Amino acid sequence: MIGTAFFAAVLAGAYSRGNAAQAKRVTTHRPPADNLVKIKEGGSLFRTNCAPCHGLNAKGGGKGPDLTSGRWVHGSTDAAIIRTITQGVSGTQMPANDLQDSETRAIVAYLRSLSPSRNPAVSGDRKKGEQIFFGKGSCSQCHMVSGKGGSLGPDLTRVGASRSASYLIDSVREPGKELSDGMVDPNNHYADALVYDTVTVVTRDGRRITGIAKNEDEFSIQLLDAAEDLHLLLRKDLESVVHERKSLMPSYSQEVLSNAELRDLVAYLESLRGNP
Amino acid sequence: MTATGRTGPHLSWSERLGVRPATIVQLCAIAVAFCSLWCVIVAAQGQGNSTPGVTYERILNSALEPQNWLTYSGRYSGWRYSSLDSIDTRNVSRLRLQWVFQTAALGQFETTPLVVDGILYGTGQDDRAFALDARTGRAVWRYRRNLPEKVEPCCGRVNRGFAMLGKHLFMATLDAHVVALDGMTGNVLWDTVAAGHNKAYTFTVAPLLVKDKVIVGASGGEYGVRGFIDAYDARTGRRVWRFYTVPGPGEPGHETWAGDSWKTGGAPAWITGTYDPELNLIYWPTGNPSPSDYGGQREGDDLYSDCMLALDADTGKLNWYFQFTPHDLHDYDSTQIPILIDADWQGRPRKLLIQADRNGFVYVLDRTDGKFLAANAFGRVTWTKGIGADGRPVPDPGATPDAKGVVVCPGALGLTNWYSPSYNPETGLLYVATSNECDMFTGTPQKYRAGRDFIGSVYAAKPGERPSGALEAIDPFTGQKQWQFKYFSSPNGGTLSTAGGLVFAGDSDGNFIALDARTGKDLWHIQLGAAIYSAAITYLLDGRQYVVIPAGAALFAFALPRE
Repeated sequence: MIGTAFFAAVLAGAYSRGNAAQAKRVTTHRPPADNLVKIKEGGSLFRTNCAPCHGLNAKGGGKGPDLTSGRWVHGSTDAAIIRTITQGVSGTQMPANDLQDSETRAIVAYLRSLSPSRNPAVSGDRKKGEQIFFGKGSCSQCHMVSGKGGSLGPDLTRVGASRSASYLIDSVREPGKELSDGMVDPNNHYADALVYDTVTVVTRDGRRITGIAKNEDEFSIQLLDAAEDLHLLLRKDLESVVHERKSLMPSYSQEVLSNAELRDLVAYLESLRGNP
Repeated sequence: MTATGRTGPHLSWSERLGVRPATIVQLCAIAVAFCSLWCVIVAAQGQGNSTPGVTYERILNSALEPQNWLTYSGRYSGWRYSSLDSIDTRNVSRLRLQWVFQTAALGQFETTPLVVDGILYGTGQDDRAFALDARTGRAVWRYRRNLPEKVEPCCGRVNRGFAMLGKHLFMATLDAHVVALDGMTGNVLWDTVAAGHNKAYTFTVAPLLVKDKVIVGASGGEYGVRGFIDAYDARTGRRVWRFYTVPGPGEPGHETWAGDSWKTGGAPAWITGTYDPELNLIYWPTGNPSPSDYGGQREGDDLYSDCMLALDADTGKLNWYFQFTPHDLHDYDSTQIPILIDADWQGRPRKLLIQADRNGFVYVLDRTDGKFLAANAFGRVTWTKGIGADGRPVPDPGATPDAKGVVVCPGALGLTNWYSPSYNPETGLLYVATSNECDMFTGTPQKYRAGRDFIGSVYAAKPGERPSGALEAIDPFTGQKQWQFKYFSSPNGGTLSTAGGLVFAGDSDGNFIALDARTGKDLWHIQLGAAIYSAAITYLLDGRQYVVIPAGAALFAFALPRE
């Protein structure tokens, strides 16, 4: 009884969102009414098998990319997605899955039923974006792309393959926005500690150090600061350790980065699909 | 209900040892006779065939030979307490590594080794096993089970240890067999199939040896098995009795399952029980109903999931049961060690059973009849509106997992879990590792398929909260916290208490820690390089007390420097 009620609600939501978003991207994949049972089963299977990495709403997790963006890096046909699910993707964290054929098809039906993320058309100039990344924006001070750049923040070599444009825009304008949303939203590992949380420690002699904890336990902390100096600290020597629950990355407001510049930057980031 | 009016526990030295005064004289006489004979034989011949090995009587009286570690929890009462006191609060900071033994296997190392007369017997990942010289860590033999290609343990290819009788070791394996090994060689003596591993039945439990029987409980609650507890004849490997933890048609409790849901009802029994020889009752806790986080397919109380079962040791007949979490929706296996304490309760002496349950309450039951006496929350609990006077929780419909997800405390891994607590009769405190984590649970219907996971959900840590943990000293009767030592991460390791006034514990960040049992002060710690998934044991050899802890893929042994 409970399950039926839940699914009625879920289906109504998913299907209506699907209808609303028919306009361009998913016209050819519109779920027929008789497919609803399969979508429902696929939703259940997705939650138990895929959500830990791809997020409950399939918009991506710490390990798995957004599956609602309409972009399928490893092939967009049903056959290609089924192959990705059953065989995994070599060189990534996507494992092979031992599912029955009907189950895999149900998961595909479910994924097809999801609306693409709010994904504004990326109209910027990726060349200009690259210049901003390595120049004015100072992004490369902390982020690496194909071996160039800093190592304080996440490596962005494949970010275009795993994150939607809307996510990238949010990450630039409001980097702390989804930092702690776990599986519900994209920016965190499944039940893992926050990897890019800002940590500030104050030593007993009054020094204040802010950075990212590369590791930590109840006896010590290994802190990488913004200058990429690694501080190896014992907790007994510290007055305080504060997890600030915000990203160390600064917010890029319109004063710092105009909308046009942001579009260029996102166009560049979107183009990053990893080394061939 | 609280423990108002309780007095005690009275602490005579007999209680510190955990035996009745009436039996002390007899036991001492037996012990002296044993020891005399033993010392002569051991001194003259080492560990030869002339030693009789472990007897039921020795396990029964294991408190009298703290130099050994004869059963999973150290003694039948489940205390995981040693009366050895040469390592104490004053000298523990001088502990030094004595030896390291590598299992040469990956994965969680969850064993509790046995130590018998200078030899340490342990099991490891992938059903490896070994016997070591407990003085040097050198292997006497190694065993590796030839496992089928596909076994389905939910949570690691782990094994928690041996039971022993005579010179024979008993091990429950990942392919759901029970195996006897020769303690001298590691050779297989008998090998009995308990259940079908192709249906995802597994064993991870350390067996409990009672009289001449090897008691084991099934794992597989994440795969829709029908749980059971078995007893095998230690000599022959023949099954003597089986208690199904999900009643079949016509059996009492069957009506608590909707339709055919009992067939895949779970209620595994994957942690070692404890035993009261006077009552001849085995106390064996059970795990979650399947699917664990979605109840729409199994309306009802789902007996005997999340229960404490009191079974007759000879027949396996159910004497009483108490269900901690009826119709569980949050994976609250009650597979924690039941601790048996004799103490005054509201003015009269009673035989009590204490269970710090995964659902967040520490329970006090009368272990003669299962009567509920008290339940006190020892951390954040939001899955229920409270526990009624009869011990039954008041359901909170707002905590039912749905497709969107609800945040509930404790999280799916519980306020505590399978890792052993310990009880120190001198402080009267229970030392429990706890997890400070609430989870967002989703519930979703799921079709059963033999051998496949059957959970009906996915869960994740509450958004915005980093899971952490603690080692806590709590009053077992009131749940009141005496002290807390905070862990950075959620723990997977249990505790050992000693008469040296110490609590030994391991955390998930690889620290092995000795704390003052009365204050929680960190007196010593060492980083062992990998998460700790077990609790320490201690033994005495050549007059030196050793403390042994598994971490990563290795056993580490510590002792004080020689004078």
